[in-house]
Amino acid sequence: MSDVFAALFHRPNFLTFVIIFLWGFYIMITRYNLVKKLVGMYLVQTSVIFFLVSISAKKGATVPILLSATGPVQASAYTNPLPHVLTLTAIVVGVATLGVALALCSAIYRTYGSLDEEEILKRLE
Amino acid sequence: MSRHLPALLFLLPLFAAIAMPVACLRHPGRSRPIALAVLSGMVAFSLVNLRGVLENGAVRYAFSGWAAPLGIEWIADGLASMVLVALSLLGLLALLFAGPTSPTDLGGRVVHFYILILLLISALTGIVFAGDLFNLFVFLEVAALSSYALVAVAGGRAVVAAFRYLILGTLGASFYLLGVSYFYAATGTLNMGDMAEKLPHLLTSKTVVGGLLFMFIGLGIKMALVPFHAWLPDAYTHAPESVSPILASLVTKVALLGWLRIVFWVLGVKVVVDDTPVLLLVGVIGALAAVIGAVLALAQNDIKRMFAYGGISHVGLILVGVSQGNRTGFVGGVFYLVNDAFMQAALFFLAGMVICQYGVRTVEDMARIGTKAPWLTVAFIIVAMGMIGLPPTGGFFGKWYIILGALEARNYVAVGAVLLSTLLTLAYFVKLFERMFRERQGGSVLHAFDSPLPFTVSIGVVSAAIILLGVWSDPIIGFLLSYALPPGL
Repeated sequence: MSDVFAALFHRPNFLTFVIIFLWGFYIMITRYNLVKKLVGMYLVQTSVIFFLVSISAKKGATVPILLSATGPVQASAYTNPLPHVLTLTAIVVGVATLGVALALCSAIYRTYGSLDEEEILKRLE
Repeated sequence: MSRHLPALLFLLPLFAAIAMPVACLRHPGRSRPIALAVLSGMVAFSLVNLRGVLENGAVRYAFSGWAAPLGIEWIADGLASMVLVALSLLGLLALLFAGPTSPTDLGGRVVHFYILILLLISALTGIVFAGDLFNLFVFLEVAALSSYALVAVAGGRAVVAAFRYLILGTLGASFYLLGVSYFYAATGTLNMGDMAEKLPHLLTSKTVVGGLLFMFIGLGIKMALVPFHAWLPDAYTHAPESVSPILASLVTKVALLGWLRIVFWVLGVKVVVDDTPVLLLVGVIGALAAVIGAVLALAQNDIKRMFAYGGISHVGLILVGVSQGNRTGFVGGVFYLVNDAFMQAALFFLAGMVICQYGVRTVEDMARIGTKAPWLTVAFIIVAMGMIGLPPTGGFFGKWYIILGALEARNYVAVGAVLLSTLLTLAYFVKLFERMFRERQGGSVLHAFDSPLPFTVSIGVVSAAIILLGVWSDPIIGFLLSYALPPGL
């Protein structure tokens, strides 16, 4: 059991990811307010993006811009640029999702006059 | 020209969707002809593409000339090309069907509807062709975003359903992306072909197992597999009548196709993780989904909701077929996938038609139609035969090959599940037809049978397709056997 904890604290980025993910998931499940649900959803998305970025980091590495154009490329001297690029796309997807979600929220508020899920379900009956 | 067909097939609806707000700003009437023209073009191009694949084999399209492991690759093989033909044909029919219903049904947002449909179709094309796990994620999300907006386009009750769909769909996408990042962390690549070469040595790694599980949960939500299906019935029931056919027939099936790509083309068929074959687990969940979906369908009173649960049960059936680990089962599953796309479209066309023309929403209301509309009744019977799986419809041959595959794998539980779900499907259609034929409510029949031409054409074509898929099942199965099999099966 103790090595599990040791392994966890050896990789704090994984621990952080798990905490943010579960926190967001918890908010999504337990809150009745639709905007709060969206906050939880955004936390879940952000945690995955955080995880993706964190696996690209290397100890002692710098930004992925070649220091010299002629010498041989040392991969260990640069962080992995690909996850960052993926992250950019994932962030754009997340923003688009949030935009659609907020538009739906405002449409719900205009129709039912409330953002509380129980209140809305009561009016749907 | 023909080399760029995959990209062209994707860009055509995408550019039309982007150009449409400008072109139709002052003339909303133009949106329908433009969308119909684009979809007709797609049908033609997808047929050309299919012929090219038949003659010259699969096309691996590298975007802007960057070859596979570095660049983004699209794969136009037999499976993708065939599904694309069905996809563009069903898209065209759904647009045709939407004509008479759309002005009232969509609350005046006709241009929005056509933009979103074109966007949805281009994203689905992207999923079908994607040869890269991250690419698949992006297109899944574009397709999902346009589906959320399409469900909510008319406002009213559907908006709440769309919100729930969005919350669950985004959760699914996050799980999928998490799985992709696990796979990337383990292999250092995102290209499917490249990953397929690197994965076999890594199957004992917990990273790969975890990633596979997360991807399965993510795509399971997208394809409405039974424990994760909660979003689907509400969204499809409350969506406008012009929207639900295209969502029901395409969105879940294409997500399922993405899952097939990952399991069969990336992981390989004979994957065993910790002494448990992955396919066995998928098959068990599929069998459960097939039975539970059909039971829930039997319990429904709203016809759209009943058909939505029918679709959920059929996703399970397809998974049962492909997970048998032999050629017969795989081909049966894929054939059933195409059939199911047509049958779902037909069911929601019919539901939309009876709702718009007769105001029939529940099973009890079906009595009002009675035998007053003979052609409608014939179409209902054909679709029911397909759903139950009676010859000569395509549904019968799909189920036949699925059962043969399960027998070949000596998986009698799967055979039992398929037969049980068939009986339950029979039961809910009997419930429907009993109302139609047995109850006499002479006075309440609204008016004589009259159907706008687009309704007649789209319902006629899908009903014909359901029978033709059965009549031509031999050549189609032969085609699938020689062009659409994953490596190693």
